[in-house]
Amino acid sequence: MFAFIVGRILAAIPVLVIVSLLTFVIIYFVPGDVASELAGPTATPDEIEQIRDRLGLNQPFVTRLVSWYGALLQGDLGHSFLLNQTVSHAILERLPVTLSVTAYALVIVLLIGMTTGIIAAVRANTWVDQGMMGIALIGLSLPDFWLGLVMIYVFAVVLGWMPTGGYVEFSESPLGWLRMTTMPALSLALTQVGLLARMTRSGMLEVLRQDYVRTARAKGLPGWMVVGKHALANVMVQVVTVVGVSVGILLGGQIVIESVFSLPGVGRLIVGAILRRDYPVIQGGLLLTATIFVVVNLIVDLLYAYFDPRIRYGR
Amino acid sequence: MAASPATATAAPVGPGALRRLIRHRSFLIGATLFTFVVAMALLADWIAPHPPNQSNFRYRFGEPNDIYWLGTDRSGRDVLSRVIYGSQVSLRIGLMVVIVTAFFGAIIGSIAGYFRALDDIIMRVMDGMMAFPGILLAIAIAAALGPSELNAVIALSIAYTPRTSRIVRASVLVVREMEYVEAARAIGAGHLRILLRHILPNSITPLIVQMTFIFALAILAEAVLSFIGVGPPPPTPTFGNIIADGRNYIQEAPWISLFPGIAIAMCVLGLNLLGDGLRDALDPRMKVER
Repeated sequence: MFAFIVGRILAAIPVLVIVSLLTFVIIYFVPGDVASELAGPTATPDEIEQIRDRLGLNQPFVTRLVSWYGALLQGDLGHSFLLNQTVSHAILERLPVTLSVTAYALVIVLLIGMTTGIIAAVRANTWVDQGMMGIALIGLSLPDFWLGLVMIYVFAVVLGWMPTGGYVEFSESPLGWLRMTTMPALSLALTQVGLLARMTRSGMLEVLRQDYVRTARAKGLPGWMVVGKHALANVMVQVVTVVGVSVGILLGGQIVIESVFSLPGVGRLIVGAILRRDYPVIQGGLLLTATIFVVVNLIVDLLYAYFDPRIRYGR
Repeated sequence: MAASPATATAAPVGPGALRRLIRHRSFLIGATLFTFVVAMALLADWIAPHPPNQSNFRYRFGEPNDIYWLGTDRSGRDVLSRVIYGSQVSLRIGLMVVIVTAFFGAIIGSIAGYFRALDDIIMRVMDGMMAFPGILLAIAIAAALGPSELNAVIALSIAYTPRTSRIVRASVLVVREMEYVEAARAIGAGHLRILLRHILPNSITPLIVQMTFIFALAILAEAVLSFIGVGPPPPTPTFGNIIADGRNYIQEAPWISLFPGIAIAMCVLGLNLLGDGLRDALDPRMKVER
């Protein structure tokens, strides 16, 4: 197991190198003159030149690349053009919001997605199954940010049960945090609930046909134990796969959802940076999100090996 | 990476497949939904009751009524007409993304799958690209290139090409070991001929299925790009732009954002059902029990 873990971690390194390279290249090839935009319409050519010098925009590609990596290895993501803070500081300040809402959404996805998937599989081809899968497919097809707006209208404007947006820290008031994050987490989660429900169902159906499940039934185990213990253990590999993909989609979805619900997280930071062309922040936000995603997938790979010993010994 | 394993099988596309399709209930529902939206887009000039950008300042934020079936927005533009014309732009972007990703996915995937020496490098780069959540990569590229329809297509294509490449590569890996490929090589066929005539046509099925899902993804992602302001710039109607127009008026005029969202859901649901049906028909071995 130890060798497997080390191998997986080493394999993640080239991916991270490519991720950081891509992040740099995307921003490097931005058309238009960043310096003159930053300086504003009234700036003299001299002032623009000064800004260009200060930001190192006059350096050739390789020099800029090397200094970007040099800074990166020291954990320095540069300085925001507009926020008067370092990028790492700006991001770290907002990261807890984004991570806590993503985790909340993930819990919803796992709870509702797996439960509906299992029920649908056990009741396969009944109206319960068809109804649940129909809803799952519709959920899968809704744009999450639109769902957020609809929820704001229904639960905040019409019913007045929830606030329209804002944020309270968990440490300050856990209940307030729940009030503020439940709608964003739900609207993020719903699409992924549909996906997981479908995958759990098809995985479960496959497992329920296996001989060992029949054996478990034959020796007189109650149905809930066959499904909940014997079958579920083998569906977990599929569940874990979906979760790996879902985390990426949830993180990507945060970018818009945070703006919809006025949550002060990394997503809103990135959107603001995009609209005001604050490139270091965009770069930092991108890199961080991708890194989290890579780490999550690493964990998923390790969980894989945990749930399916064949993977551990196979290689 | 923990992506779900691609289907590496290639069933012949014959009359059997067509029969299975016509009998497939969800395929028919999906086809109906999607055809409805496509018809809306194609017939926009005839069926839209108003020009999409015509303002009526005496009826701003107007509730749905006889003249404006789905109400009006901030500048008194007809929401229904904007949704109808919006479907044109959104579907066009989706279609372009599907064509471009399928084209480059086929090229990159078959090169990686066929020339094993290049496989490692190409797939590592694809892995790196897939390490970004797709929507995030698209947003970053679109933001870097600037807001326009073409740039949205470029950004989404770059974000989704790794997916199509992986799918094609997976099936090429299987097909290249087939006996008829060996036979072609034995009679002296060149690499290009083997790839184009023998391998690609037999590994295209999973790609076709994937294309419907990419179409759905692209429509959802286009809405996100437009919504945060890096898609086709306003006043161009796209589903995302119309939703964005209404987001600050959710309290007074919820209809502005509501209807384009329903149109997106119809498109995407239709395409997802179509894709499920296609997968079951073209690739019976993958059939999910229902």
